[in-house]
Amino acid sequence: MISCAILERQGKWRFVVLAAGLFVAFAPLLPLLWTLRDTSNLSGVFDAGFRAALLRSLTVAVAVTIIAATIGIPTGILGALYDFPLRRLLLALLLLPLLVPSFLWAIGLSMLRRAAGLPPDTILSGFGGTVITFTALAMPLVIFISLAAARAISASQTDAARLGGGESHLFRSVAKSVLPIGMSTAALAGVLTLSDPGAGQILGFPGAASEVLTSFAAQYDLGHATGQCLFLAGVVLLLALPLTMFVAPKLAAGLLARDVTPTEARGRRRLAWIAPILFCVLLAATTVLPLAGFVQPLLRETPWRRALAEVYRTLGNTSAYALIAAVIATVGGFVLAIAAGRDNKLRATLLAALVIIFAMPPALGALGFIYAANVSPAELDPLLRSRFTVGLELALHSFPIAAIFGMRAIGTASPSWAEAAAVHGVPLRSYFRKVLCRWSLPAALVSALLTALLVTADVSSVLLLHPPGEASLPLAIFSVMANAPEPLVGALCLFYVAGAAGILMLGLMVFHFARPKR
Amino acid sequence: MRPLLLCVVSTALLAFRTQSQAGEVVVYTSVDDVFARPICQQFEKQTGIKVKLVPDTEETKSTGLLNRLIAEKRRPQADVFWSGDPIRAEILKNKGISAAYQSPSAEGLPKEYSDPEGHWTGFSARAKIILYNTKLCPPGKEPTSIFDFMNPSWNGKGCMANPLFGTTSMFAAALFDALGEDMAQTWFGAASANGMKMLSSNGEVKRAVAAGDYAFGLTDTDDAAEAIKDGKPVGVVYPDSQATGTLLIPNAAVLIANGPNGENGRKFIDYLLTPEVEQALAEGEAAQIPLRSGVAVPDGMKTLPDLKQMKVDYAKVAKKLEELSRGFLKDWTAKQR
Repeated sequence: MISCAILERQGKWRFVVLAAGLFVAFAPLLPLLWTLRDTSNLSGVFDAGFRAALLRSLTVAVAVTIIAATIGIPTGILGALYDFPLRRLLLALLLLPLLVPSFLWAIGLSMLRRAAGLPPDTILSGFGGTVITFTALAMPLVIFISLAAARAISASQTDAARLGGGESHLFRSVAKSVLPIGMSTAALAGVLTLSDPGAGQILGFPGAASEVLTSFAAQYDLGHATGQCLFLAGVVLLLALPLTMFVAPKLAAGLLARDVTPTEARGRRRLAWIAPILFCVLLAATTVLPLAGFVQPLLRETPWRRALAEVYRTLGNTSAYALIAAVIATVGGFVLAIAAGRDNKLRATLLAALVIIFAMPPALGALGFIYAANVSPAELDPLLRSRFTVGLELALHSFPIAAIFGMRAIGTASPSWAEAAAVHGVPLRSYFRKVLCRWSLPAALVSALLTALLVTADVSSVLLLHPPGEASLPLAIFSVMANAPEPLVGALCLFYVAGAAGILMLGLMVFHFARPKR
Repeated sequence: MRPLLLCVVSTALLAFRTQSQAGEVVVYTSVDDVFARPICQQFEKQTGIKVKLVPDTEETKSTGLLNRLIAEKRRPQADVFWSGDPIRAEILKNKGISAAYQSPSAEGLPKEYSDPEGHWTGFSARAKIILYNTKLCPPGKEPTSIFDFMNPSWNGKGCMANPLFGTTSMFAAALFDALGEDMAQTWFGAASANGMKMLSSNGEVKRAVAAGDYAFGLTDTDDAAEAIKDGKPVGVVYPDSQATGTLLIPNAAVLIANGPNGENGRKFIDYLLTPEVEQALAEGEAAQIPLRSGVAVPDGMKTLPDLKQMKVDYAKVAKKLEELSRGFLKDWTAKQR
């Protein structure tokens, strides 16, 4: 019988499980490396068009980083330090842009610009529009990481700073502590924009990821597209790696349980009034603005029936992809989290790998599956050309979220539980079922819901891999948005956002009611 | 635990289900989803064969349908490719992906719009037209030729879709065929120098012209019909009726070689090529021009005899497009951003 104590001890099994898990995560890239045997695929990859596109992408990434850091870090700190009416709701709503496809926000801005009668060279399109769209996605990341970092400071430290110099001094002290992780997150969010083709393409500022799709779609050149995709992944890796090395150890330590009272948000303070104003302004810029774009054509016509038919047609597939991905990602993520355990080095290594996986272009893995399916016998179709393939590819790209939730859940479980179970001869299986699974269940549920929402927003993988006739709702919107009447596109987008908001609220309720009480 | 296990097992069964069930046909199409789906639903009603439609996504360029067909050549998933233009069909023929099929329903369709070897059959067509904003182009002063894109009086007022994609790529290749290499390159250079804006798709051109962002733009008849139906202030010109003529873009039905449901694929093509489908496409939102004579069309719709058509050798244009996509057009589009 395996003792429960192995969960709290060093062991080779940890390396084996981590290595196997990460190998599976990177496995779809292997068939792509095979294409590099033909060096002609690499010639001309870095041509003038791709160079210009990459420069545009980098410009957008830098702008997004600067704006997200400048606004997101103070907002996160204010959200952690001060309480105000509807604080939790506003925080939850700020998360919304993160859970919808970027192209949806771009459509909203595009519709809004036209409705307002603004010329095409205004801030709502081109470079400005692309930056606004991506900033809307980056902002929640920066705000929430900054908020979490500020809350990680102990209550006694914030009380001391408050007593020593008042609210301004407290804010400066917390900012000094939060700045490195907040800046790194903003930079990482900027790097993530490099792999997203949708917004720039719609708003007239196409970047390197669009160029990859151009090679794939217009030039019928899978090899060339793969070469460009790998090059882009190299750039992403180059930028993400130093950030990851910096962020991962801090995050790894932060995910462990700490025996301190975290900072509590307080109301009726001198700076407290700024927070709700900032939250509302941000909400207007990142969420209300694009939503207004969707609503505007609906004032002319409301094709609810047609939109509902489209939702009905795609709901099953959308849910199936989300469910498969959420289950695989959550199980995989939690297994890796258990393998990393409380070992700081293993946790930091795992986190570094997770950030890299998350930052990679989603199309990369999908291209790998296409290659693999082509050279495999028909008997492997259930694995390589089915709904499962789509769900698996989505899970392999999104399991870092589940792994982080898992590391937090495992890190906050008491080590004495496993030791006590070992002393009393409790079988490992029973310990898992009765203790660890129950303890991790709330985190697993929230992680599954978040993963489901995030993967549903992905279009690249679904577009390339979905079995015939099995499109998801975002893909259906993506397919009809060019030629369908604006009210139909607006209605479909609104349905999607409403669904995402509903699931987000459900997730928050699960987290609130199911989390273990102190 | 048992309900959980049941849930996992049923999800797995659903997840691993693969395609190619009996009584279905897999159709890849570069025709817009909103136009193609009603036709497929009608076919389902008539035959009881389920259509699995994989539509294209024009606007964000991640189409890849043709590429997906090329990538799946060894073991295709599609039975039929319903192409929005004959050039992609010709490319599939050249790559050995299509199979020859002479449908009995093709009777009455003019032969010049189909492949002589039967690899693709043309039916209902769109035309490449100039869509103009009636508020910005007063009556009698609207542009009438593609050469108006080079006219200094229209500086910065014209737009077109990215010529690497969709029907605009066919237009570009056909232009090279019709005008010759030097003249066509001059047209692209001069239009660009005159401030012609390249947008992401024909749908985007329609929206930009309708909103008054640009005075006029090059797009297709189906986009124009949408804008008119929406009550936008737009008008349509069939360009160059006195010179090179208007480019006609027929649909093309292609049978994929070794598709999983070949027989159903043939039935679907037989259905697509019927006069009823040509009529439905003419009367529907797509407002496509029937190639058959005698098919009833809505009032005001142009028919083939009303148009002076650009002369197109589809095989030649397809080869030209492959060359242009990796050469001149790729460089030209890169400069437009």
